[in-house]
Amino acid sequence: MSRRIGSAALLLVALVAGGARAADDIQVHASTDADEVAVDGTLNLQILVTVASGSQGADVQLPDFKDFDLVGRSQSEQTTIEFSNGAQSIHRRIVTNVALTPKHEGSATIEPARVTYRGRSYQTQPITVRVLGAAQAQRRRGAQPSARDTEEDPFRGMGSQIGTRDLLLRATIDNDAPYVGQQVTYSLYLLARGGVSGIDKLQVPKFDGFWSEALEEPQQLINEPRIIDGIPYSSFLLRKRALFPLRPGKVEIDPAEVDVLSGFGMLFSRSSAHRVAQAITIDVQPLPTAGRPTAFDLGNVGNWTLSTAVEPLTVSVGQPVTFKLVAQGRGNVRDLRLPRLGQVPGLRAYDATTTDKKSVEKGQLMGTRTIEQLLVPERTGDLEIPSLSMDIFDPAQKAYRTIRTEPVRLLVHAAEPGTAATVAQPAQNLLAAGGLRPIRLRLRAAAIGAPPWGQVWFWPALAAGPFAVAILVASGRARRMFWKDPRELRMRRARTAAQARLRGAEAMLAEKRPGPEFYAEVARGLTGYLADKQGIVAAGLTREELASALLARGHPSATVRALLGVLDHCDERRFAPGAPDERAQRTLLADADRILGELDRPGKDAA
Amino acid sequence: MRRIFLASLLAASTAAAQRPDPGAPQRPDALRFPADIDPGAGRKASSALFDGANAAYLSGDLPRAASSYEALLQEGIASAELETNLGATYLREGKRGLAALHLERALFLDPGDEDARADLAETRRAAVDRLEGETESREVLSRVLSPLPGQAAAILLIVAWTAAWGLFAAHLLRPARLLLPLSLAAFALSLVAAVVTAGAATWHSVALRRAVVVAPATPAREGPSERTATHFEVHEGTAVRIEDEEAGFRRIKLANGLVGWVPAAAVELVVPPGWAGQNG
Repeated sequence: MSRRIGSAALLLVALVAGGARAADDIQVHASTDADEVAVDGTLNLQILVTVASGSQGADVQLPDFKDFDLVGRSQSEQTTIEFSNGAQSIHRRIVTNVALTPKHEGSATIEPARVTYRGRSYQTQPITVRVLGAAQAQRRRGAQPSARDTEEDPFRGMGSQIGTRDLLLRATIDNDAPYVGQQVTYSLYLLARGGVSGIDKLQVPKFDGFWSEALEEPQQLINEPRIIDGIPYSSFLLRKRALFPLRPGKVEIDPAEVDVLSGFGMLFSRSSAHRVAQAITIDVQPLPTAGRPTAFDLGNVGNWTLSTAVEPLTVSVGQPVTFKLVAQGRGNVRDLRLPRLGQVPGLRAYDATTTDKKSVEKGQLMGTRTIEQLLVPERTGDLEIPSLSMDIFDPAQKAYRTIRTEPVRLLVHAAEPGTAATVAQPAQNLLAAGGLRPIRLRLRAAAIGAPPWGQVWFWPALAAGPFAVAILVASGRARRMFWKDPRELRMRRARTAAQARLRGAEAMLAEKRPGPEFYAEVARGLTGYLADKQGIVAAGLTREELASALLARGHPSATVRALLGVLDHCDERRFAPGAPDERAQRTLLADADRILGELDRPGKDAA
Repeated sequence: MRRIFLASLLAASTAAAQRPDPGAPQRPDALRFPADIDPGAGRKASSALFDGANAAYLSGDLPRAASSYEALLQEGIASAELETNLGATYLREGKRGLAALHLERALFLDPGDEDARADLAETRRAAVDRLEGETESREVLSRVLSPLPGQAAAILLIVAWTAAWGLFAAHLLRPARLLLPLSLAAFALSLVAAVVTAGAATWHSVALRRAVVVAPATPAREGPSERTATHFEVHEGTAVRIEDEEAGFRRIKLANGLVGWVPAAAVELVVPPGWAGQNG
C-alpha cells in the first residue's frame, strides 16, 4: 500500500494567546496514510505531539469522527536527544495512532484533534479524504503501482508476512529478477511496535555473487513511523546496499541478524532480543544476446553518458594539453570499461590516470569515471581527436546502445622562438606518415591499350633480326656451294674448245676454203688448248721454250715434237701459201686431233 | 551550356541521394556527361567535371563527388588521378570494397603512384579479412614487378635486338674492328631489356586476373551454385585472383590459397574489359 501524507497536515496552531514561548515548546502534527480510502477499508490517522522533556504530559483528545467509525487506537511515547549549536535538548514524542473506517462514500472529513498542554489548548487542522466505492477501490488496487511507489515502500505487500509480531528484522530488495550488472537495492529494517533503545551485533550478509556498495549506514536509530496493514510500526533503517549481480542464475542472500536492545539503562529495565531476517533469493537474468554488439563489455551495464574535454584547444607545438574522457550516469562505475584513445597522428599520448566518483541519488548509485591523459602535439596545424564510442546495456530500456563523444579539434601553432617546452621532448613539428592522402587536382590521361608484347607486330619484329641474318648466312653458303673456278672450267673445256676449232677447220675444207684461215684455225685450236689446259701461252714463247715447258709437264717428247711440227707447218702454210692439198690438210687435222688426245691423257698434266 | 551542365549535376545528385541503400555496395548513378549534351564539349568539359568533383569532395559532398568521378569513368577516361580520387571518396564514404578496387586500378595505370599506394594501405588497414597463413611472396613479387617500365623496355628490346643482329650481319659480310664488340654490347642491352619486359609481362598477366571483393560480405561456396556448402566468407576490400567463371559465379583464390566460388557481382576485376587490349 502506498503511503500518502494527509493533505491537511497541521503544524502548530495556538488557540489561546499564550505567548511564543509556549508555542515553541510543543509541536502537533496530524497525518493520514492515504488521501483516498475504500468504503470498506481502513484509514490510519497519526497524531504526533512533540513536547519538551521534563514537562507535563500532553493530553490528546480525539474528535467525534462524524464521517468515520473508530476501530482502533494506540499511543506510544519516545524520548529523543538532539544537539544543536552546542546545546542539548531532550524531547518527548507522543504518537497516537487511530484506525478509522468511513461511514459513507464521497468526501469525508476528519475533524481537528485537540491537545491540551500546560493549560493551553491546541488543535490540528481538519483533513479531508475521498471515500471510494468498493468496486472503484478494487479497480484502483488492480492497477500497477508506479515505479516511485515501488521505490518508496519497501514493505509493500508485507503485512501477511509480518503478522502481529512486535519486533522483527526484515530485509527487502527492489528487484528480484535483475540483469547481470543491474543495481538491486537491499534494505534492512527493524520493525518494532514497542520502544527500541539500540542495536548490537548487527551481522550483514556477505553478498556473495554481488558487487556491493554501501548506500546508507545510519549511525543511530532513526524512527520512521509506518502503518503496515493498519498496524503502526516504528521502522528503523539499519543498512541499505546497492548490489550488482556478477553472473546469471539464482543467488541467495543470507539472513541478517541483530540483537535489539529495549529499555533505558539504569532508569528502566533493559532487555535484549535476537532477531533474524529472512533469506532472499534473486533470479539474476543474463544479458540478452540479441543485438549485443561484438565489442560490448559485460561491465558496461547502466545508463551512461560519455563526453570529452580538451584543455586548452589552442596550443603551441610541444605544449601539453589535458584530454579528459568522462563517463557519467547510473550503474556500477567501478566495473565500467571505457574506450581507449588510440594513437592520434601528430599527438604523443602519455599514461592515463583514472578517477572514480560515486554518489547516491534517489537510492540509486551514480558514478563518474574520469580518464585524464596528457597529450603533446608534435606537429602544427589542425589536429583532430577522434570520436570515441562505447556500447552499453541499459536495463531500464532493456536494450543495447552505443554512446559516443564528439570529435575535438585542436589548433596547434608553431612554438615561439625561445619558448621552452614543458616536457622533455623538444618543440618540433613531428610529421608522422599515414592517413588518407589529399586528392589530386590535375587530370592526366593514361594509356590503357595492349602492351607492346601484346601487339601483333611485336614478335615478328623481334624475329626479323635473326631471320635476316639467317637468310644472309644461308645465301653465302649457297653461293659458296655453287661457285666454279674459271681456270678449272677452262681446263675442263680446253679439249672441247680445241676440237671445236678443228671441226671449224674441217668445215672450211668442206666449204672449199682451204686457205690460210684453215691453218690459222688449226694453230689457234692447238695453242688455245695449250693456254687453257696446260697454262702455256705459246704466242710469247720460242719453239724451244714451248718444248721445254711441255717436257717439264711430263709430256712425251714425240708428242712435243709432233706438236711443234704441226705448229711450224701451219705457220709455214699461213704465211707462204701454196696450192691447196686437201689430203695433206686432212692429215694435218688428224695429227692435230691425235696430239690433243696425247696431251690430254690423264697423269700427264702437271699443271 | 553551363546551366545545362549544372542542372544535370544537381539532378543526378538528387537522384543518388534519394535512392535506397541496399546491402550491397551500389555505385552512385553517374552524372550526365556534358559530352552527351554537346558532343563538342570534349576535354574542356571533362576537366570542368573533374574540377567540380574535386570541389564536391573538398566540401564534404561525397555522394556528388563520387557521381561526378563515375561519370568521367563512364566516358572512358582512364586516369590514375581520377581512380585515386574516386578511391579516396569511397573510402571516406566507408565503402572499402569500391575504394580498394579503384585504388588498385590507379596502381595498374600508374604503378609508381605513391598516393594511390598509401591510400590503398590505409584501406587495407581497416579490412575485415585477415588471411591466416598468407604467403606474401606473391604480393612482394607484385610490388617488385609492378614498377618495371615494361612499355619502354619492350621498345628498347626491339631496337637493341634488331641492332645487335644487324651489326652481327655486317660483321659477317664485311668484318671490321668495331662491329663485333658493338653487336655484343647490343645483345647485352637487349638481354637486360628482355628481363625487364618479361617481369613486366608477368606482373601484367597476374594483374589481368586480379579482382577485389566489393560486396560487404559474400559466402565462398564449394561450387558455382547457391545450394552448395559455404566454405568461408570474404568481405569487401579483399584482393583475390579470378581462376574460373561459370554461370554467374567466379572461382576465386585468396593469397593464402583458400579457394571458393562467389557470385560474379561480388567481385570486380581490377583491369576492366576494354583495358590492356582485353575484349570489352
